[in-house]
Parts: sequence; C-alpha cells; structure tokens
Amino acid sequence: MNGTHDDGFDDDDFAEGAFSDEEWDTGLLEEELRQAAAILDPVPAGLRQIAVEAYALRDVDARIAELTFDSLVDAIPVRGETDPPRMLTFRAGEVTVDVEVTAEGLIGQLLPPGPARIDVLSGPRAHARLTADDMGRFTGDAPPAGPFALRLRTGEDLVVTEWLRA
Amino acid sequence: MRGGTAPSTAYDDESYTRGGAVDRGDVGALVLSAADGDAAAWKALVDGLGPLVWSVVRAHGLSDADAHEVYQTAWFRFAQHLQRIREPEKAGSWLASTARHECLKLLRAARRWTPTDDPQLLDRVSEDRTPEESVLDSEEAAAQTERVRRLWQEFEELGERCRQLLRVLIASPPPSYQEVSAALGIAVGSIGPTRQRCLRRLRARLEARGTL
Repeated sequence: MNGTHDDGFDDDDFAEGAFSDEEWDTGLLEEELRQAAAILDPVPAGLRQIAVEAYALRDVDARIAELTFDSLVDAIPVRGETDPPRMLTFRAGEVTVDVEVTAEGLIGQLLPPGPARIDVLSGPRAHARLTADDMGRFTGDAPPAGPFALRLRTGEDLVVTEWLRA
Repeated sequence: MRGGTAPSTAYDDESYTRGGAVDRGDVGALVLSAADGDAAAWKALVDGLGPLVWSVVRAHGLSDADAHEVYQTAWFRFAQHLQRIREPEKAGSWLASTARHECLKLLRAARRWTPTDDPQLLDRVSEDRTPEESVLDSEEAAAQTERVRRLWQEFEELGERCRQLLRVLIASPPPSYQEVSAALGIAVGSIGPTRQRCLRRLRARLEARGTL
C-alpha cells in the first residue's frame, strides 16, 4: 500500500482526532480479509437454509425446560470408560426430565411421574414419537446425529427441552 | 467502513461506527417482528447474523461436522427462545455467546474423553470451489484469486489469538465489539488494540512475502 506505515508494536494508543495512516491501512486490510472470508469460508448454503427453516421451531405455547445437568460438563470422568452414556437433566418449574443417551438408544424419566406423549425433534423436519408410561418412563432409539430436543405433552402442559447436541 | 466523522477516542467509538450492510439498530426491531410471526424478518436475521455465528465456530477450530452442529444448535435455540429474548437488540451477542459455549463444550469433551482425537484444525484452502471462486476463475481474474488465497493463507498462519479475533471481526456484515466480546469471551476494551496489533502483524507477513 504506502510505505509510510509504522511497525512499532507498542504504539497502540492513538492520538485523539483523525485516523492515523496506519489505522486507515489496517481498516483496508480488514476489509480485504472480510472479502476473502466471504469467498473462501462462507456460511455453507445448506446451513443457511436450515437456519431459515428453524423459524418453524419457535414454540409459542411451550415452556422451555433448561439444561441443568450435562455429564459432558458436570460429571467426573470415569477412568477407562471410553464411551460413557450421556446423562442430561432438564428442568421447567416443577417438571424434571432425566435423559440418558447411549449408542443403543435413549432412556428417560419424567418427574413428577406420569404419562406423556413425547416427540423427539432433530431439526425443523424429522422427528420420532415416544410415549412415557404411567411411571413417567420412556425409551426410544438414539436421536440422530446433530442437535435434538424433546417436546413433552402431559395433559395440559407442553414442555420443550433446550436444543442440544446429543 | 468507518464513518466520516472522527471519533473522539479511536476505540471506544469504533463499535458504533462499525457495520455497513445491516444497520445494527435494526436487529432489535427484526427480532420483535420475527417473534410476532414475520418470517421475512427471521430470514433477515439469518442473513445478518448467520455469518457472525459461523465465524464463531470457525474461530474455535472445530471440525466441519462439529461446526455444522454448533451452528444449527445456536439457531434452533434462538428460534426456541425468540419470544423470550430479554434484550432483542443484543440478539447478535446472544447468538455469538451461545455458539461459543457450545464450541467450548465440544472442545472440552473431545479433550476429556478422547485425547488422541484432536479436533481438526482449520483447513479451508480446499478443493471445493464456492460459487464466488468459480466466478473469479471464469473471469480469469487469476491474479486476484491468487492474492485472495495468499492473504487467507497468511491469515491462517497467524497465532491462535490473532486468528480467532480476526476471524470473528471479519464476519460480514462486521459485528459490533459487544458481539465480538460475546463471541470470544474477551473484554470489549481489549478488542481494538489487539485488532490493530494482529492486522499489523498480518501486513508485516504479507510485505515479507511481497504480497502487498
């Protein structure tokens, strides 16, 4: 660009007022880098589409059950156990949902115990339907790769777990 | 990219003067419209903030598969919380921070359970051609293409901290410093000086290679 730049690495405090030449240069460089990112590392078109379709996931009537325990973060690792089950707890008010995910499938417990219809969501489109028995227990296939959520309907109440990567 | 008026202090005001294509003040209004059922507003949010979310997962050096999942998780959760976002004008920071936490969770899990299976490092100079690249080629703008590649290569060889910060800063439209702060968990006040230093370093590398 121009040859009058300053390469001093400690000179970060600029005087007040107009931009210095150097600041101007770095602004241009940042802009050029921005264009390079748009060319070489853009948001993949398929992902953009999924995000657009995710609009269908807003659930006006449902209460959100927030993640309160995740074995990935909160549990102490067991030595020698290479592929431990993922234990998750979600909570919305008095309702608690415990979920255990392994390669074999999904096991869950709804509290307070009681029957429920449960949808396993894996994005705006695909889902499976499960049923919790009178004790609030439910089982199903492991959710497909990618983020998933459970939508539970118990009588009047509709609860959706926070989206999470299985 | 900067406004015509000189700010009184270079860094404090920069976050307000950044941003071109999307007026950051619109984000709050778009969130409210989308929450009200306006699908076009949602689409505008995806286009305005999607590149920021993508830059966050890229900055954390996740594998492609993980990057895709975190990107989706952030948007699914945003849709889920749309009606309940307390500060709609800060939706960019909300998304950036959600993406960051998911990235950190994945990185921590990968380190904890499978220490030999390091997440793939960024490797973007791939064989897959984006449409924009193809256009460049078809117009035989070979020199320009080469320059873009070299610039990107030098960028990727910067230190971890610079690469992270710059990757988020160069999202398009440019994020505010508040959003960058949420994306990387760094203080707003440190962004300007670090940005300046990193860009200077990048320019020095380019000059050393005769690319500038």
